[in-house]
Amino acid sequence: MKVVELGCRETGGSRSFWRMLSGSGRMALAVLATMAMIALAAPFVCRHSPRIASGPALAAPSAAHPMGTDELGVDLWAQVAHGGRISLLVGAGTALLAGFGGAAAGIACGYRGGLADRLTMRLIDILLVMPDLPLMIVLAAFFGPSVVTIIIVLSAFSWVTTARVVRGRMLTLRERRYIKAAESYGAGTFYLLRRHFLPEIMPLAAVGMIRLAGRAIVAEAGLSFLGLGDPASRSWGLIMHHALSFRGIYYTDFWQWWLVFPWLALTLVVTSLALIGRDLERMADPRIRRRGC
Amino acid sequence: MLTVEDFSIVYDRDGSPLPAVSGTAFSLAAGESLGIIGESGCGKTTLALGIMGLLPGATVSGRVLLHGRDLTAMAESERRRCRWRHIAMLFQNSLEVLNPVITIGEQLTEPLIAHLGLTARQARERVTEMLAATGLAPRWLAAYPHQMSGGMRQKALLAMALACGPELLIVDEPTTSLDPESRQAVLDLLQDLQSRLGFAMIMISHNLPAIRRLTGRLLTMYAGRVVEEGDTAEVLRRPLHPYTRGLINAAPDFFPYKDLWGIPGVPPRAGSLAGCGFAPRCCQAGDFCAELPPELREQGSDRRVACHKGGIETVLSAHGMVKTYRLGDEAVKAIKGVDLVVRHGEVVALVGRSGSGKSTLAQMLVRVLPADGGMVHFFGRSIFDRQATAVIGGMQMVFQDPAEAVSHRLSVLEAVREPLDIMGHGERGDRERRAMAALAAMHLPTSTDFLRRTCHGLSGGQRQRVAIARALVTEPALLVADEITAMLDPSTQAVILRELKGLQHQRGFSMLFISHDMHLARKVADRVYVLDQGYIVEEGAAFEVLNGPADSLAMSMPAVTRN
Repeated sequence: MKVVELGCRETGGSRSFWRMLSGSGRMALAVLATMAMIALAAPFVCRHSPRIASGPALAAPSAAHPMGTDELGVDLWAQVAHGGRISLLVGAGTALLAGFGGAAAGIACGYRGGLADRLTMRLIDILLVMPDLPLMIVLAAFFGPSVVTIIIVLSAFSWVTTARVVRGRMLTLRERRYIKAAESYGAGTFYLLRRHFLPEIMPLAAVGMIRLAGRAIVAEAGLSFLGLGDPASRSWGLIMHHALSFRGIYYTDFWQWWLVFPWLALTLVVTSLALIGRDLERMADPRIRRRGC
Repeated sequence: MLTVEDFSIVYDRDGSPLPAVSGTAFSLAAGESLGIIGESGCGKTTLALGIMGLLPGATVSGRVLLHGRDLTAMAESERRRCRWRHIAMLFQNSLEVLNPVITIGEQLTEPLIAHLGLTARQARERVTEMLAATGLAPRWLAAYPHQMSGGMRQKALLAMALACGPELLIVDEPTTSLDPESRQAVLDLLQDLQSRLGFAMIMISHNLPAIRRLTGRLLTMYAGRVVEEGDTAEVLRRPLHPYTRGLINAAPDFFPYKDLWGIPGVPPRAGSLAGCGFAPRCCQAGDFCAELPPELREQGSDRRVACHKGGIETVLSAHGMVKTYRLGDEAVKAIKGVDLVVRHGEVVALVGRSGSGKSTLAQMLVRVLPADGGMVHFFGRSIFDRQATAVIGGMQMVFQDPAEAVSHRLSVLEAVREPLDIMGHGERGDRERRAMAALAAMHLPTSTDFLRRTCHGLSGGQRQRVAIARALVTEPALLVADEITAMLDPSTQAVILRELKGLQHQRGFSMLFISHDMHLARKVADRVYVLDQGYIVEEGAAFEVLNGPADSLAMSMPAVTRN
C-alpha cells in the first residue's frame, strides 16, 4: 500500500484512494490482493506439497485436488499457489529495483545535467533500441538460472523507461518558481529532494513500477517457458513449460487444467496490474489529481 | 546678508523649559530665497519669530547677523526700528494679525509713519502705490478687515510688509487658508514682486509645489533642528533624510497621482530624546541612533544632512548588469549593462514593456538567474550565491504567477514556514508563530482549517497573498516584487497592492516594484527606472518621470529612446 500513500498524499488515507479508483480498478485491486494473499499463505491454504506426489497422475480437478494433478501426481493447486510466490517476487523485485534505480537515475540526470546526463541518455537510447529478449536469454543462460538472476536481468532492461519519464519531469520541476525560491532561501539538494522532488516524482515512479511488475511477470514466464527459469522454484511460467513439454498434451484433456490454471493466474495478475496502473496514471496526472483530491 | 549661527530658542513657560529651536545655522544672500518645511510644531514659525525678535517670553541664544549686525544683541528699541525697514514678515493668519476695528488704510500707513518717518500724506501715497503693485484697488483702503476676502487681506498685508522696502521678507504659510485660485494669485504675486523688488525671502510652507516654485534652497526642520539642507530641486528629487522623504510622500499636491502616506508616529517632545529625534519613526534607525543627536554634516556638494547613517542608506546597488540568452547559435542580449540603486525604505518602480528585460534583471538581482556580468552590492557588500536571500532580513522575491511560485502540494502553513525551515531559524513553534503573523499581516485567516489547506485549493488572490507572506516572513530589507498583481483582477490587485504598500510603509522595508503598468507604478513609486530593450532609458523621481496625463504615458512608453 506504499504506492497508495504516495499517490494521494494531500488528502491522505487510503479511503479517498479507494474512492478515486474506477470500478475495474477496484476489482483489479481485489483480485491482486487475493492472489498475493494466496501466494503468501501458500503453505496454509494448500493441503498438499507442491513438490511431492499426492495423488494419481494427471487427475482431473476434484474435491481432493481442486486443480487436478500433473504427470507425477503433484497437486496443481499447491504448485500454482507456490508458483505465485516466485512470479510475484520477480514482479515486485524487478519493479522495485528497476523503478527505484530508474527514478534515481532520472532524478540525478534531470537535476544535475551535464556530461553524466548526456552519457546516461545515450545508454538509455541504446538499451531502448536493442532487442531485449535474445540478450535476456543469453544473459540468463550465462549467469545460470536463479530468481535473483532473473530479477537483475529484467531490471537491467526495464529501468530505462522510468528513468526517461522521471528525468523529463525533473527538467520541468527544476525550472519551477517555487524550486527557485526554495533554492534562494538556501535549500540544499537533500531538502529539495525530500520536500519537493520526491513527492512529485513518486506517483510517476509508482505508475512505472506497476507497469514494470506486469511486464516482469510475463517476461519471467517467457524465460521460464523457454527453460531458463530456476528449476528448483516452480513459477507459473515453469508449470506451463512442464505442461507443454508433456508430449501430445493437446491430444488429451490434461491441458484443460494443467495449462489453463497457471495461465489464468498469470493473466489475472498481469491484467489486474495493468488496470491498476491505468488508474494510477490517471491519478498521477496533476490536472486530474487536482480535481480529484 | 543674513547669517544665523547656533541659534536656539527655549520657551520657558510654567518653569519647564521647552527647547523649540536648537542649534540652527544657515545663511542667506541678498535676493535669495529659502524654503523651510517640516511638520506642525517643528519650530519653523518660532525660528521666523526669533529672527524677527518677536519672542518676548523665550530665551534666545546664538547670533542672527544682518549685514554683520547681531539682531539678538540689539536693544529692543533698535530692533523695532530694524523690523519692517530691513526685515518684514507676512503672517499665517491674516485675520488675527489685522485689527478688526481699524481700517486697512490706517493699519497700513502706521508702520510707514513710525519707521520711515513719512508724513501721513506720503504714507498714504506709498500705500496706494504698493496696493496697486499687489493688484488691489485703492478703494479697499477704507475697508475693515472683515469686509475683505482672505486673499485680499493677504495681499493687503503683503503690501504692508513691502511698503518699507525690506531686504528680507519672511513668509509664514502665506496660502494655507486660501482657496486654490487665490493661493495661485498670491504665489504669482510673491514671485513677481520678488523679481521686481529683489528682496531675499524665507518661505515657511507645507505646500511643496509652492516651495519648489519660489525657493532656491530648502531647510527641513524636525523637532527644532535642521535635519537637511540643500538646493530645493535637488532635495525634492533626491531627499537624503528619511524625514524629508516622508514629508514629500505625505504631500497631496506634490505628485497627485501617488497615494498619500504620512510619516508613522508623532514627533517627540523637543529635547526628550537623547539621540536622533527621528529615530523612533525612522525605517533605518540603528542602535547607535538613539545615543547621540546627529550633527548636520556635509553630504555631497551643497548638501547637508543630520543623520548618523549619512542620509538614507543604499540597500541594493547593481552595476553593469549583463545577461545574454543563447538561442541556438544566436545570442540574444536581454540586459545590456544596467545600473540600479534601491535605497532604504523607498519603493523603486522598474517599468517597461513586456520583453524589455524587467524580470531577467530582477532575477539576476536576487541571484535566481546567474548574471553574465556586473556586480550586485547589498548594504555595501558584494554578494555571491544565496548570501542575501538565505538570511533573515535579506532580500526576497515575489514572482508573477502565484500558482508557480508556491508548490501546490504544500499546506498554507508549510508554504509560509518553508523559508524559515530552510534557514533553520529558531524553534519550530517560533517559526509557526512568525508564519502566522505574516499571514495575518497579509489579511489571511489563521484558523487551523485554513492553515492546513493545500495551496492549490486557494484562489489566485489568496495564493498571491500566501506568496507575499512567504517572502515577508523572513523580514526582508528588500522585497523584489515582479509583476505580482499582473494575473489578478483589478479589485484584488488594488486590495493586495494597498496592503503591501501599507506594510512597506509600516515596516519600512525597500521595494523594487516591477510592472509594465505605468499607472500602477505611479501610485506607489518614489523613484522610477524605465527599461527598454535591455537599457535603462530613463530614471528619476516618480514625480518627474511619471508626471503626465495617462495618454502620454501609454504612448511614450514604447517610444522612450532618450538616453
